[in-house]
Amino acid sequence: MDRVVLLVRIAIRNLLASPINLLIGGLILLGTMVFVLLGGMLDSLNQSMQKSVVGSLAGHLQIYSAKSKDELALFGQMGNFPELPAINDFPKIQEALSKVENVKVVVPMGISAAIITSGNIVDGTLEKLRNLYKARDGQPGDPKLEGVPREELALRIASEIAHVRQIIKVLRGDVEKAMADMMNAKSVEPRNIEALQRVEQDAFWADFEKDPYTNLEFLENRIAPIVTDTSLVFLRYVGTDLDKFQKSFDRMRIVKGSPVPQGQRGFLIADLMHEDQMKLKTARRLDKIKDARANGRLIATDDELKRFVKENTHQTRELVLQLDGIKTAALVKTLQDALPSKKDSIDALLSELLATTDENFDQRFTQFYELVVPQVQLYRVKVGDMLTIKAFTKSGYIQNVNVRVYGTFAFTGLEKSPLAGATSLMDLMSFRELFGYLTSDKAEELKEIQRNTGARTVSRENAEDELFGDGAEVIAEATPGIIDPDAALAGTGRKLREEDLIRRVYTQQQLDDGVVLHAAVMLEDPTRMDETIERITQVSNEQGLGIQVVSWQKASGLLGQIINVFRALLFVAVGIIFIAAMLIMYLSVLMATLQRTQMFGTMRAIGAQRGLILSMVLVESLVLGLLFGGLGMLAGAGAISLIATQGIAAPNDVMYFFFSGPRLIPQLSTWPLVVALVIILVVTVGSTLLPALMAMRVSPLRAMQADE
Amino acid sequence: MSAIVTIQDVVKEYSLGATVVQALRGVNLTVDKGEFISIAGPSGSGKTTLLNLIGCVDTATRGVVEVAGQNTAKMSERELTNLRLNTIGFIFQSFNLVSVLTVFQNVEFPLLLQNKLSAKDRKERVEGLLEQVGLKTHLKHRPNELSGGQRQRVAIARALVTDPLIVLADEPTANLDSETGQAILDLMKSLNQKKGTTFIFSTHDHRVMRYANAVVRIADGKVTGRESPQDAVAHEMEGLDTRSTEVRAS
Ligand SMILES: Nc1ncnc2c1ncn2[C@@H]1O[C@H](COP(=O)(O)OP(=O)(O)O)[C@@H](O)[C@H]1O
Ligand SMILES: [Mg+2]
Repeated sequence: MDRVVLLVRIAIRNLLASPINLLIGGLILLGTMVFVLLGGMLDSLNQSMQKSVVGSLAGHLQIYSAKSKDELALFGQMGNFPELPAINDFPKIQEALSKVENVKVVVPMGISAAIITSGNIVDGTLEKLRNLYKARDGQPGDPKLEGVPREELALRIASEIAHVRQIIKVLRGDVEKAMADMMNAKSVEPRNIEALQRVEQDAFWADFEKDPYTNLEFLENRIAPIVTDTSLVFLRYVGTDLDKFQKSFDRMRIVKGSPVPQGQRGFLIADLMHEDQMKLKTARRLDKIKDARANGRLIATDDELKRFVKENTHQTRELVLQLDGIKTAALVKTLQDALPSKKDSIDALLSELLATTDENFDQRFTQFYELVVPQVQLYRVKVGDMLTIKAFTKSGYIQNVNVRVYGTFAFTGLEKSPLAGATSLMDLMSFRELFGYLTSDKAEELKEIQRNTGARTVSRENAEDELFGDGAEVIAEATPGIIDPDAALAGTGRKLREEDLIRRVYTQQQLDDGVVLHAAVMLEDPTRMDETIERITQVSNEQGLGIQVVSWQKASGLLGQIINVFRALLFVAVGIIFIAAMLIMYLSVLMATLQRTQMFGTMRAIGAQRGLILSMVLVESLVLGLLFGGLGMLAGAGAISLIATQGIAAPNDVMYFFFSGPRLIPQLSTWPLVVALVIILVVTVGSTLLPALMAMRVSPLRAMQADE
Repeated sequence: MSAIVTIQDVVKEYSLGATVVQALRGVNLTVDKGEFISIAGPSGSGKTTLLNLIGCVDTATRGVVEVAGQNTAKMSERELTNLRLNTIGFIFQSFNLVSVLTVFQNVEFPLLLQNKLSAKDRKERVEGLLEQVGLKTHLKHRPNELSGGQRQRVAIARALVTDPLIVLADEPTANLDSETGQAILDLMKSLNQKKGTTFIFSTHDHRVMRYANAVVRIADGKVTGRESPQDAVAHEMEGLDTRSTEVRAS
């Protein structure tokens, strides 16, 4: 013991004698601090990311067919979906897995995507007009119009005609703009210009009443195709047991609407998706400006906000397109009073309303939502709408299914995260039906309905090819009845069957008994994940379940690897620091050893064994390493707890997902401490061993020789 | 009196590349317990080599070296180190103190290597010795804060702290002025008388030889005789005379 004290004492004394040790110590301190600090932060990041990934879609583990050639990538690149072979015997798998220790629940899933094309506004308006004429003429059409008095029908017809003429005006404006632009001029077809010119003239409308059905046909055939405002919304969704999903992913909450009633078919849209992609762009921009202003940003100084305002004042088109005659007239008046303004065109008034400044923003925001929004459709798909989702299976066989949108949902803490908010949810039955995974009797029953429903052919198949290229095997396209969902589902028989399907309640057994593509596995104790993975693999092999199991990290695709990449970078950076420390330490210890041969010789002569000399040199480096390493650990731990008091604010929406909320509270983790200790030991011993062996071999004779 | 060092027909050769230098060419020597012996001879005659063999820091090429009754040729490195630690004390020409340790710690060092005494006993022993060498007041000093004479006193204390049977000193006064050198020799002599420790020191200084019980003369790697200090000093003087005559003659 006293000898150790002596060694340490000699070591400290020797260390103090040479200033280069401060440099070495500084490097070790820096390396350790960085390692502990960033290691802890990465760990916390990993944990929060785990919370996000596990809590929003993946679960702790994912299982999928062992036959799959693709890897399951739940957060993979948009549109680039893994092709997963179906798991046919889910009940057996669920049964087997639920017996595995540590498995809490297995949630069946199937991930896919669809495109929603918002319906053509002209189509919708023209259909309304046609129904109104039919009702006036006593022909069967929209049941809602039955019993409406003739005078009101006439009024509504006039309003719709005004709407159509307004649309034509907008289209005319589009064409003129296109013509003015040399590059686009060629793309304007002369026959479109002709058609527009014709319907623009009052003469066309004066004669409209004479033969409304023929004229409507002309509008449908020649004008509607010109409208190109169909923006595609790419919709990722997971077909799943919705009840189980909501119970297992307990951060999930409904934002708008309601959950899909237990056992029923239905669709839940990710709220962020709903807001970002399906909301009126003008409204969305106003929301964003409001948000930004709440965070202290100003329209006057912020370029992005300035751009939003500019877009809002210029792009009133999407609002004007939606307004029929009655609404336009009413809104013109309201806005004239509210602003107040003397302008009389709806375009100009909307522009003025939306020319927001920091001074008038709050007022204008309220005015927009109170005066304009009630006249238009705020969301392209809203709660209660029916979505028609189409799947193109591998064989080219087209299935489509209508699902009702019950609501939107978000995950607590991840409301703003585009990653968590990118995937919507569909009930399992619709999903199976869509991909032809239903049992034969069910399939037969559904075919009957199918025949009556008749897929509304969408002339936009090409769009998918452009989006997905030829790689995608399964594509779903959805056409929501956005203008008037009820009208889109014309046909009483079909409607009844639809209603029947919508109301239908499936038992848990029916839900379980069928095909799934993959499934999330929730664990009791996530820390024993590796162990459980092994166990599940074993069970699958024993019972021939034919599944493979991956951790959330792997299942999340590239995303899950990010932390590993960061960790590798950290190791590289810290590695460089420590290698530098090691080199300098080696040189310094070597120099010191060469300078001290007489001392070593003297000690040997006096009676010190070789081993003592060896440990003396090693202890010197160890003391240096452990002292500064310890200080580094303290500094790192201190830095972490300091940061933890404030937390790190998510710099942008994407980071919400990684931080699992608006802030990351880093925690000190043990492994960086342990690893740092091991690295320090390796560095000190590694750099000192050679000089220490040299010192050990110094002969006691060296004591007798005069120094130098 | 019993022999504590016995050297028989010892040859020590150093090979320098192809050539072989014979530093000792058949040396015979016996040192008895309690002697205060000086090994005298000109530079390069083999004094240091002989002391190294006695001090077990080197081994003979041929012949027998027995220290405290043990034949050093048959001992392992580890055993030789233990023999040095427990039986021999060293005083070096250039003092060889550990510069980062205090006076006290330098003297204590061999005791720590021995690992036999408690801290309290060590303190007592070390302070007692430092008192005897007159450095009681310098316990906390570092070697570089001391004069040459003081450093050599510390070295003496360190050599004696383990109560060795033999203390070896290779030209202990070579780096000191003559006055200080004589004081050191006085100190060594008094310790020899008080404790009965055997002292073997080498020198080519006749003023130093005077202190010895006996002077072993060595020249060209051979012991040429053993004489009383008086005779040795006289010889030394003669030698000087002869040399000066020769210079005059030429
Ligand atoms: N390590 C060595 N290698 C080669 N020759 C040596 C070595 N040590 C001593 N010698 C030679 O041995 C002879 C005796 O040297 P040494 O014992 O040091 O003499 P002294 O101490 O009396 O001056 C000298 O000729 C010297 O050159
Ligand atoms: Mg010599």
